Amino acid sequence: MTDAAIGFAASARGRWSEDTLAVVLGGAILVAGLASYFGVDVLGWTVTTAVWSDPGKALAAISKNYAALGGLGALLATFAALLVVLTAGAAALGERPARFAGAFTIVFVIAYAAWFVGAQAHLAAVTPADQAKFGVSWSLRLTNEGGYIVALLAGLAIANFLPRFAGWLKEAIRPELYIKIAIVILGAFVAVTAAGRLTFASSLLLRGVAAIVEAYLIYWAVVYYVARKWFGFSREWAAPLASGISICGVAAAIAVGGAIRARPQVPVLVSSLVVVFAVIEVLLLPFLAQTFLSHEPLVAAAWMGLAVKTDGAAVAAGGIAESLVLAQNAAEGVKYQAGWMLGVTATVKVFIDIFIGVWAFILAYVWTNYINVQPNAGKARLGEIWARMPKFIIGFLTAFAVALILALTASPANTAKLSAAIGEANAFRVIFFVLTFFSIGVLSDFRKLWREGLGKLAAVYFVSLFGFVIWVGLLISWLFFAGVKPPLVQ
Amino acid sequence: MSEPELRDELKAPVEPLLPIEKKLIVGSLATGIVLLVLLGLVNYWLGAG
Repeated sequence: MTDAAIGFAASARGRWSEDTLAVVLGGAILVAGLASYFGVDVLGWTVTTAVWSDPGKALAAISKNYAALGGLGALLATFAALLVVLTAGAAALGERPARFAGAFTIVFVIAYAAWFVGAQAHLAAVTPADQAKFGVSWSLRLTNEGGYIVALLAGLAIANFLPRFAGWLKEAIRPELYIKIAIVILGAFVAVTAAGRLTFASSLLLRGVAAIVEAYLIYWAVVYYVARKWFGFSREWAAPLASGISICGVAAAIAVGGAIRARPQVPVLVSSLVVVFAVIEVLLLPFLAQTFLSHEPLVAAAWMGLAVKTDGAAVAAGGIAESLVLAQNAAEGVKYQAGWMLGVTATVKVFIDIFIGVWAFILAYVWTNYINVQPNAGKARLGEIWARMPKFIIGFLTAFAVALILALTASPANTAKLSAAIGEANAFRVIFFVLTFFSIGVLSDFRKLWREGLGKLAAVYFVSLFGFVIWVGLLISWLFFAGVKPPLVQ
Repeated sequence: MSEPELRDELKAPVEPLLPIEKKLIVGSLATGIVLLVLLGLVNYWLGAG
């Protein structure tokens, strides 16, 4: 999140928070998707994009019940629905609806165009059979999810070459909102995917706990020490910086900054660095994972969740890593089921997020009682834990629980219907991912790294991230996930 | 905070580590390593996954 974006978000006058809106919208999309499980196809008009060499055949409605709409009709229907719902949401957040609607229209057009380009066969076709089918002699083998990278690059180009245009779009540039909606939907998708292997689901919980320990107790302590001892940062700077690098980027930096009573500018500046470095990680780590971890898909997935900061970038990196690693394996004749890697990345990230409030409370307690002791200052209250916990996690866990119960109680005949119903909601999850990627790009002004004054902050971030966080994350992911494979496509 | 202010602030004298900060760092690391070893052993014994 940039300074401007954070400032804007903080100045929102609405009664709803972004987390509440994400839970409501994600939940509504899931309920609408599940309606088809009970015989009413509410979301069948949602647009999907297939790998294409003939652009006229790329777009379609997700359900055959709405085939008459055609691809363009499905795209327009999807856009119109998102425009209405998100504009209402923006009003609930206290923003100017007309301004948001105009900016969102442009954001959607560019982001979906990037997604469409990414599905072109020269970028997306995976196997030689696919290349033959689409009549192309070569392909980058990115799968159609390579569109995420195209969207990110489009956003980066706008941020760094057209800053005034980026500023004009800012009201609809909300990566945290988009990814939180997507994560709520993902909760149901992960549950339906994991229901077939409950032993895997339970063991994932154990690994999620390991991720919490790693982020809060190992990463934080080391980064705080590096920032204080090696780089001489004050406590006010070191605590939000360590939280941003170690835990969950923007959310943790802001929560901890508030907990230790840092000046508001401190977590804002830290957050702007978090976003820039997260983009570098998104562009780098999934390709490293494809090169070195293609035979350990879930190690790669957990690594993305542990190493990439901010929810949006982490889950986005998990999505790209999944498409690259699955494509690599498919080219070698091994076809893993999709969704497992993304599920692992998202679960690891959500587990880490759960404890932001607890960690902020612990630091608030230490700071108020031992570091900034002031006779009349308020002490840390247990209520802070709830106040600072990202509420969208409740949406993810509720969606997971409901979908898991439905999956476990469904008859074999109904299991396919349930998967199709969640699949309709999941089509929106993909669109929110695309919007997230584009938005992250638009917020990533790399010139910040060159600005005098931020260099020392960036140096701590660089040393900690590339010297420690990424590699310890890889080691822990390897220890807990090596040898665990996603199921094969039947 | 303007960039010149930030630059000056980052050049301010270093605050030494307080005993409570050292306790926080060492305590976190020690607890984290012990918990990771325990979780690793549980993971190994259960053959999870």
